[in-house]
Amino acid sequence: MNKLLTLWALITLSVTASAQKTITGQVLEKDTNEPLLGVSVLIKGTNKGTSSDFDGGFKLQNVNKGEVMVFSYIGYTTYEITINEQDELVVYLEPGTEIIDEVVITALDIQRDKASLGYSVDQLQPAEFAIAQENNIMNSLSGKVSGLQITQGNTGVDGSSRILLRGVTTINGNNRPLIVIDGIPVSNASSSGNPNGGRDSGDALSDINPDDVASVTVLKGAGAAAAYGSLGMHGVILVTTKSGVSKRGIGVTVTSSFNITEIALTPRLQNEYGMGAFDAFSPVGSDGRPNLDYPGSWSYGPKMEGQTYTNWLGQTDTYSPRGNPYKEFYQKGYSLTNGVSFEGTTDKSAFRLSITNQNTQGIIPNNTLKKNTVNFRASSNLTEKLKIDGKVTYIKSHVKNRPELGEGASNTALQLSLMPRDVRLSDAKNNTVDANGNEIKWNLDNTFNNPYWALNNVFNEDHRDRFQSAFSAKLDISDAFYITGKTGLNYVVTEGTEHAARGGQANYNGLGGYSTNTSKSSSWNSDILATYTTNFLGFNATASVGANYRSDSGKSIGVSGRDEKVPNFYRISNYAVVSDSDYFWEKTMYSFYGLGQISYGGYLYLDATIRNDNSSALPAANDSYWYHSENLSFLFSKFFGLTSNMFNKGKIRASYAKVGNDTSPYRTQSSYSIDQTRTLDYTVASIPGSIPNPNLRPEVSHSWELGTELGFFKNRIHLDFTYYETLTEDQIMSIPISGTTGFGSYTTNAGAIKNKGYEAQLNIIPIETENFSWDMGVSITKSNSIVKSIDESVEAITLNSLMAVSVEARPGEEFGSIYGLDYLRDNFGRKLITNAGLAQPGERIKLGSINPDYYGGISNNFKYKNFSLRTLVSYQKGGEFFSWGRGYRQMFGTDATSLIGRVDGIVEDGINEHTGFENTVAINPLLKNYTNNFVSNIRTDLIFDASNVRMKEIALTYNIPKKALGNSGIQGVSISATGRNLFFIYNAAEDIDPEASNGSSPTATALEHASLPSTRTYGINVNINF
Amino acid sequence: MKRIQTISYKLLIVLLVGTVITSCDNILEDVRQDPNNVTSIDDAPLFATAVRSLFNGTLDEGSYRFAGQHAHYYVAGSTARLPDQYTDGFDGAYNGIYNSMYSGVIKHIEEVLYITSQPETENPVRYAMANIIGVMGYARITDGFGEIPYTEGGKGKTGDILTPKYDTQEFIYNDLIQRLTASINVLTNANPAMGYPKSDPIFSNDLSKWIRLANSVKLRLGMRLRYVDNNLSRQVVSQCLTAPLMEDNSHNASMIETEGDGNAWYNRRIGYPSIKMSTMLVDQLKNTSDPRLSIFVAQDANGNYTGQTNGLNDEAFGKSDLASKSDMGLALSSQDSKLYVMTASEVYFLKAEAALIYNTDPTEANDLYRKGIETSFKQWDIDSGSITTFLSSSTGTLSGSTTEQESQIGTQMWLALTPNYYEGWCNIRRTGYPVIAERTDSDLERGVTNGIMPSRFLYSSFELSTNGTNVSEAISRQGANKIDTPVWWDKN
Repeated sequence: MNKLLTLWALITLSVTASAQKTITGQVLEKDTNEPLLGVSVLIKGTNKGTSSDFDGGFKLQNVNKGEVMVFSYIGYTTYEITINEQDELVVYLEPGTEIIDEVVITALDIQRDKASLGYSVDQLQPAEFAIAQENNIMNSLSGKVSGLQITQGNTGVDGSSRILLRGVTTINGNNRPLIVIDGIPVSNASSSGNPNGGRDSGDALSDINPDDVASVTVLKGAGAAAAYGSLGMHGVILVTTKSGVSKRGIGVTVTSSFNITEIALTPRLQNEYGMGAFDAFSPVGSDGRPNLDYPGSWSYGPKMEGQTYTNWLGQTDTYSPRGNPYKEFYQKGYSLTNGVSFEGTTDKSAFRLSITNQNTQGIIPNNTLKKNTVNFRASSNLTEKLKIDGKVTYIKSHVKNRPELGEGASNTALQLSLMPRDVRLSDAKNNTVDANGNEIKWNLDNTFNNPYWALNNVFNEDHRDRFQSAFSAKLDISDAFYITGKTGLNYVVTEGTEHAARGGQANYNGLGGYSTNTSKSSSWNSDILATYTTNFLGFNATASVGANYRSDSGKSIGVSGRDEKVPNFYRISNYAVVSDSDYFWEKTMYSFYGLGQISYGGYLYLDATIRNDNSSALPAANDSYWYHSENLSFLFSKFFGLTSNMFNKGKIRASYAKVGNDTSPYRTQSSYSIDQTRTLDYTVASIPGSIPNPNLRPEVSHSWELGTELGFFKNRIHLDFTYYETLTEDQIMSIPISGTTGFGSYTTNAGAIKNKGYEAQLNIIPIETENFSWDMGVSITKSNSIVKSIDESVEAITLNSLMAVSVEARPGEEFGSIYGLDYLRDNFGRKLITNAGLAQPGERIKLGSINPDYYGGISNNFKYKNFSLRTLVSYQKGGEFFSWGRGYRQMFGTDATSLIGRVDGIVEDGINEHTGFENTVAINPLLKNYTNNFVSNIRTDLIFDASNVRMKEIALTYNIPKKALGNSGIQGVSISATGRNLFFIYNAAEDIDPEASNGSSPTATALEHASLPSTRTYGINVNINF
Repeated sequence: MKRIQTISYKLLIVLLVGTVITSCDNILEDVRQDPNNVTSIDDAPLFATAVRSLFNGTLDEGSYRFAGQHAHYYVAGSTARLPDQYTDGFDGAYNGIYNSMYSGVIKHIEEVLYITSQPETENPVRYAMANIIGVMGYARITDGFGEIPYTEGGKGKTGDILTPKYDTQEFIYNDLIQRLTASINVLTNANPAMGYPKSDPIFSNDLSKWIRLANSVKLRLGMRLRYVDNNLSRQVVSQCLTAPLMEDNSHNASMIETEGDGNAWYNRRIGYPSIKMSTMLVDQLKNTSDPRLSIFVAQDANGNYTGQTNGLNDEAFGKSDLASKSDMGLALSSQDSKLYVMTASEVYFLKAEAALIYNTDPTEANDLYRKGIETSFKQWDIDSGSITTFLSSSTGTLSGSTTEQESQIGTQMWLALTPNYYEGWCNIRRTGYPVIAERTDSDLERGVTNGIMPSRFLYSSFELSTNGTNVSEAISRQGANKIDTPVWWDKN
């Protein structure tokens, strides 16, 4: 702190003196002459500036002759003027779409000239996320921002998204960037399913209404995000909501969009062999039905040729293929969103109120989402010196029947993918319950349901009420000194209920069960910041000091019961065996920080931040820790006078940051839990499975980046390139330890991970005429995270695993190596085959990695008169994933690849382990697929290349000309036809979507299992302004 | 003037910041402690957890998927029958068995031993009782795996040991026996008030029963050494025979699980994969007109008792009509079915074997054998008439050569141990009785053991990666990490 105050004093005491004057004026929209509110007015090359008020008026003091004033406003072409003799200005801004060299919102909501920043920032405008709408706004950013990787699993409506900014920097953490809405950091946690089951409960990001968003800014590196302290360690995404019209008066906007979702990609199934094993029908048992245990219920029976046989229900039937069950089972989903917003601006105040209603129906008939959002934001200049701004958002959402995923019993995709190929889906639909009330299905295995039994008997729903508020005040103490205060609350109540009827062995052992859970979480965040701006000796400087207080807490209460008493009644009293739970957590952090910016000559800019965090999650001795960051921007084109018609901008930037991080609460103290008992007359207590660590220290990451921005032909060619490195050390990790210690893990500071990469964004405007323009952008990101070390007690940390495949952090290797068993081979790599003709499991080796070699997007935007067409292609080269879905389908004989060897058997490629001669023993494909995939766990052939190129987005928009609207009172109408995730241009894994994961953890894409079909969405979107 | 204003603003900020800093330290302290758990506790609730874990361990994967099928008590359906095909691709299950024993019984016993040996909380009686449970827990783990971390095991918290070294089974057995002897000595003159008057799930703090339990376990461990360290075995067994042992079913160490769904066999019987009783068991009970048939085995749909053959290959299994076979009997698989870790009938059969082999007294052996059968029958509430009838049949009397008599004892031990399937598997491995025939028939799967009953669990890949050096040392001493590598005491 002392250092900071000294710096502060130094800056404030420096004397300023030069021939300066005051400029006043007004900013108006060209053609309409309406005043524009909130236009950024900056002296070029300095931090000195202001913004226009409700009349479009502005006043800027201490302006030097010869300086250039820049007027910029989102959605308008930037205007520049050199100050000579004039004291008053009237500036007309023209609506436009110039996207380069803009003013961007940076950390702590400070608006900055992008040229002055020493780190990489991307800012997106509504056109990029509000037209082809997604329930989760983050999905709209996919492929549009270099360094940002977003994957959306196939997890039903309101699913969560996996988000990584510049790859992975911590081994244990979720690595998700911080989301800040109107200055208030909100929880970005996601609760997702996994390949072993579970459901995706969505993430907080799906509660952002795209129509309310004015801009999204992505602060990629630690240098950009350092002002947020440990919360911003994985980068920051700043969402700014709309705050009122730019023009005086009242405006009403009505938006409506309707989208249809349909299945786009399903696994290829074989259509030749039906139920049975070893080419024979399953023997009919004493109950008149075929034996439905393994492997009799697999699709390895005789060839289907219309012969008469006893089907799975015990009926005489003809034995024939029944088509693609996915197409028959899943329906077209739709989503209808209607919104209306009212905006108004007076001479002192502005407000915006919006109400949005969304109804979504998923591809599974009972999977629905209803969401209502009310958003109110208002701001006012109470006095000349005091401005306040406040907003309240209330979001109520109700989701029914989030689908069970992966190996979960009621995962419909799992059931359909394994269903014997001679089973009619209509038979499954019409035969769900027998006379005793028990589920009817085609196999005895109680790890799967009949999909229709599940549809009729397994339910879940949740209600989420999210309340967000933010309030801020800005007090101008003098022209050079102001204080802002900001406080905000994010409060969420979630109620979830699920139940399954009696009779399905796979659910609650056939007894029926119920659970309901209510959880509340709140985070309260407050900031105070004082900023002082001055000029001295040709330098412009701004210094700020601030403090932050943040308190997060949560409570959940749940009851669950099993053994249903009467049918179709879902309250806890109806269950014989009941247990309940409650849990509370709390974490507090307070921080102090300082920011300083200094610039010289309009070509050299230096930023520095320093911050001290104090966290309750760390032990008292180590709970206070410091960060700092330094960012440098140098406009060499200006300094060397290189600017010409051809070369208009040359900038290099450099940034260094040291950031720390704390951890989740309660990891430092040993404790005992009191176990819940209902029948015992004595107390039972147990010791938690993880060994706490009273000496935890904050983890530390050091990162630096170097970048350049080059503009040619007035920015018609613009390149932005960044190279970055981050080393994160002393990571707080839960290290898995030998079970013989009595524990599963212990918490410690261990390990280092080095993340490096580059990202580039090239924008070209090949054609720009009055009526027609074409601009294109290409982004590429290569990110590589190498695990330098982990705790010496373990060889590797398993991050995720499924069926003997693990995703690991292993020293010296990339984060996210995929490990599994290879074939047993000789020294020449030939498979060693047994006398029986079977391959054998060999070494556990690295079979792949989740990390793409590179990825990015290619966008093309065309504009012709009132038409505009936006297209986005996203691509990924490299990276692998394990598909247990394929492995399972092969074993069950439903997969198209299981057709190999049905007639003559399969001769494994390799040599006999005893004779050394080439293997010639033909084995039954059932035996091979079952043995290799399930018994021997050989994974080599179930690893797939994740490379793909997909048509991510197409949006065609028509703006009805104002002339055509005449005196209708309507000021603007735009109609868009949009499509998302339309098709694969290339997919190395062919019939499996490499992004079809079951969750949103950093390693979720590594493991595919029985994922729901991938979908495409298309629809129309209408926007009317009154 | 303006200057002064600025300075006063700055002063104000400095004061504000100062106030905030000093008050903030308390803010953090207030929320640092975990409100969901307690930070200190009496050892009794931890002891109760350890005891309950020991009983529920008889239902774990090691018993249910492995021991029960290896010992030919039953056959599971679906993929749960894979261990019955003598294969070894169960890395996760092996790890689970290991972890649940250490994190259940061992971890909590280590904590109790630690608490009851600290100066301010010292309690030798509780220490002795905890030792008995610890010995049973450790015996179970070493019987399944062979060498295991013992002196350093379960001490992740009490001893900060994260990579515990392995001990030989010989060392472990010697030490377990000594711990039992020490515990018996302490408990013999102990004040019960110092025990667990309110937290003993087995004997309600009846210390005389605890002594009988400790001595009976010692007898079991002593007999376990018969083929590997005969001298020590004789010495330990003779000590046991002069001390109080379990004599009737009131001395049995049993527990009824009343929490949750109760006995896990209930859900397994009604659920999936189905469990069908073994042909070997059903035939044994049928052929000897054993009244335990209707107790251990449920009638099939036609009112008959039909067993399922163990070890069928996939094709033969598909044709075997598993669904039509007999389920496990209700007495073994109801929610309130008792769990056993040691019974008086087992003690009688151990004594019978000792009498036959160590005392070479066939008459005494026969008396003890008949007492064992009688006690087992009484355990299942079989009426005295049926007991008399059965004892008067040829099965009721030891006859033939010593080997034949040993076989008879082994078979009755196997039946009497039901439902402690894990101990059933151990006893077969030790004695070779009842004989589990090598699988040679073409319908049978020979697995990775060439058709021989597996003799241990594997160290998991997780253990190999987290405690590699130590487990590798154990493997180099003990032999390859395979399921047919016998543990130290297994010589048959």
